[in-house]
Amino acid sequence: MWRHKLSEQELNREIDDSLAIQTFDLSRSFGPIRAVNDLNIDISRGELFALLGPNGSGKTTTINMLCCLLKPTRGTAHVLGFDINRQSNSVKSLIGTSPQDTTLSERLSPLENLELMARLNNVAPDKAKKWSAGLVEVMGLGDRAKDQVGKFSGGMKRRLSIAMSLISDPAVVFLDEPTLGLDPQARRALWDYIGNLKGEKTILLTTHYMEEADYLADRVGIIDEGKIAALGTSIDLKSMVIDKQIVVINGWNITIAALGSIKSRYQDVKVNGGQVIIAGKNLDFKEITDYVHSTGAIIRSAYFKEPSLEDAYLRITGKELKA
Amino acid sequence: MKFVSLALRNFKEVYRDPLALGFLLAFPLLFMLLFGAAMGGGSTPAYSVGVLDEDETELSSRFVTDVLEEIPTLKIALFENEVEAANSLRDSNIRAFIKIPSGFGDEVAKSYQQQDPDIVLHVTYDESDFVVSSQILSTVNTAVRSFAQIHIPVTINTSHINVETQVTQMDFVAPGIIIFGLLIMVPTAARIMVKDKEKGYMARMLTTPTRPWEFITGYSLALLVIAIVQIIIFIILGVAFGMSIVGNIFLAFLIFFLTALCSIGIGMVVAALSKTENQAEPLCWLIAMPLAVLSGVWFSQEMMPEYIQFIGNLFPFAHSVSAARLVIIRGADFSAVLDSIIFLAGWAAAVFTLGIVLFRQKMKG
Ligand SMILES: Nc1ncnc2c1ncn2[C@@H]1O[C@H](COP(=O)(O)OP(=O)(O)O)[C@@H](O)[C@H]1O
Ligand SMILES: [Mg+2]
Repeated sequence: MWRHKLSEQELNREIDDSLAIQTFDLSRSFGPIRAVNDLNIDISRGELFALLGPNGSGKTTTINMLCCLLKPTRGTAHVLGFDINRQSNSVKSLIGTSPQDTTLSERLSPLENLELMARLNNVAPDKAKKWSAGLVEVMGLGDRAKDQVGKFSGGMKRRLSIAMSLISDPAVVFLDEPTLGLDPQARRALWDYIGNLKGEKTILLTTHYMEEADYLADRVGIIDEGKIAALGTSIDLKSMVIDKQIVVINGWNITIAALGSIKSRYQDVKVNGGQVIIAGKNLDFKEITDYVHSTGAIIRSAYFKEPSLEDAYLRITGKELKA
Repeated sequence: MKFVSLALRNFKEVYRDPLALGFLLAFPLLFMLLFGAAMGGGSTPAYSVGVLDEDETELSSRFVTDVLEEIPTLKIALFENEVEAANSLRDSNIRAFIKIPSGFGDEVAKSYQQQDPDIVLHVTYDESDFVVSSQILSTVNTAVRSFAQIHIPVTINTSHINVETQVTQMDFVAPGIIIFGLLIMVPTAARIMVKDKEKGYMARMLTTPTRPWEFITGYSLALLVIAIVQIIIFIILGVAFGMSIVGNIFLAFLIFFLTALCSIGIGMVVAALSKTENQAEPLCWLIAMPLAVLSGVWFSQEMMPEYIQFIGNLFPFAHSVSAARLVIIRGADFSAVLDSIIFLAGWAAAVFTLGIVLFRQKMKG
């Protein structure tokens, strides 16, 4: 396979080793498929960065390159100042990775799984034992600590899988779709746990759940077809669609005639049961409610809707984000 | 010593899996029982062998009555002249006939007096049945040597053949069965490693700062423990079914151990080259079964055409079989099988090196 190794002078931008993760035209193709295409992102130390994108957008491929499982076909990345192409062993000793598919040693207990991961990360045996015992409690697996994990529920397995990526107390943690396939309750619990790590560790997580990126991330990178389509805090991203305002009115007695006149007055009107949703630029809330009232409709409630990350996503990529 | 933690994990994955464990332990048991029932025991069909004693000394008649007639797998018929015996052989009434030429007794007596004997026996056999005749030849050969207490011609050393008057078929067959059992370690080894690969656990481990040799050692140590348990079961069952170990048991063990190493190494190379269990498994059998035949685990290699022998001898298992037979049946000592041991060790080293190279390539993504 042809590999282009960039010398430092050839890199397209300045190296900043105070950053936790810096990618330089990071690219990976599989035959004709460009899974990751000239990715350039900077992630600060202690930051929680979310890569948000639909299935097949290149999230896993990015993570796999950063954790040295997969060689880039072009470009490179630095993790805490170490080059993923040339110093993979140094990179590996500083990171923890939770793969997209939960992979555990099925016949081992949670304690044994954690201890082995610690040992593989060069944690001394006595420390490995101590840390595992501690983490197993934190992750709420204490009462099953010595059972084989093969028969655990999906949620328990995933918690353990994430714990395994943290056992060596790594400075940088990669979480590939950490809450994939979990029920809302388990997801919440995991969010709280990941949220608690904020600031302490640099975390790069990937997700295709809007709420997850919104709730957890300091910054969100929207990835689409292997490229970063937009990048910023979730407020930044939402403000990209601030020009599009939405007024939602819940009411009774909205007749067909009333609807007809509302639709002819405003450009973008949707009806959803007893709900009328009006979108547009520079909407005047008072003017709208007064007009709707004048058609004979009775307004129960009316409000301005905040643009969601989903609206931003739709605007940026032109695609709906499906779970 | 990360590889110890790894080995322990791999071992636990096997012994906590009742199905895998059952297969690994029940397999040698079942296998030996089957062959034992087929080959060993008192109810073995004996082959009719004619004997013509032209020497007619006390030693020659003692050889017939005390040795040949005592071998359970031979039924001895005495003949007065060669023509009669030849006819009987042609009519398939006997499988072979042994002519004891005059001078036999004198030569054996020489041997008893520590002089160099030149013992000759004429054996005529039915060529149409390779397996049976090779077994008869091997049995008679061994019987004569033990009777005359002579050194083994193939060795330059001075160890005596044990005075063992019964060489059973089990003695001849058991070492081959054990080597076959160890050849089955090829799929076992591949399965354990490919399973981790297929399920993504290998990828997970590869994100940790662990070296290829540590992975390889971690897998092979666990497999070696399994192999050692299998070898012990094989030897115990073999002995229970009438295999007598004439030579040094530890030397036999060393040969089996090196054979297991070769199997494990081959299995790991196959695992490195395949992506899924469904790829690895048939490939392993495709390697193991022809090798079993070529290496003479069931039928003596001497009965095969030379080019087949040549191919067989490129692989470790033919050497394991012949060395194991030398030690177990003939009591050969270390120096007599040194060549085979070096060959086996070299093969093991080469195949493990290849495994590490392939693993390193895989790690590069
Ligand atoms: N090993 C591979 N071989 C071929 N194509 C691959 C491989 N891994 C990923 N791809 C392709 O690369 C693209 C990105 O995949 P991936 O990184 O897994 O996306 P995501 O994690 O965002 O769902 C997809 O089109 C996928 O089919
Ligand atoms: Mg993915």
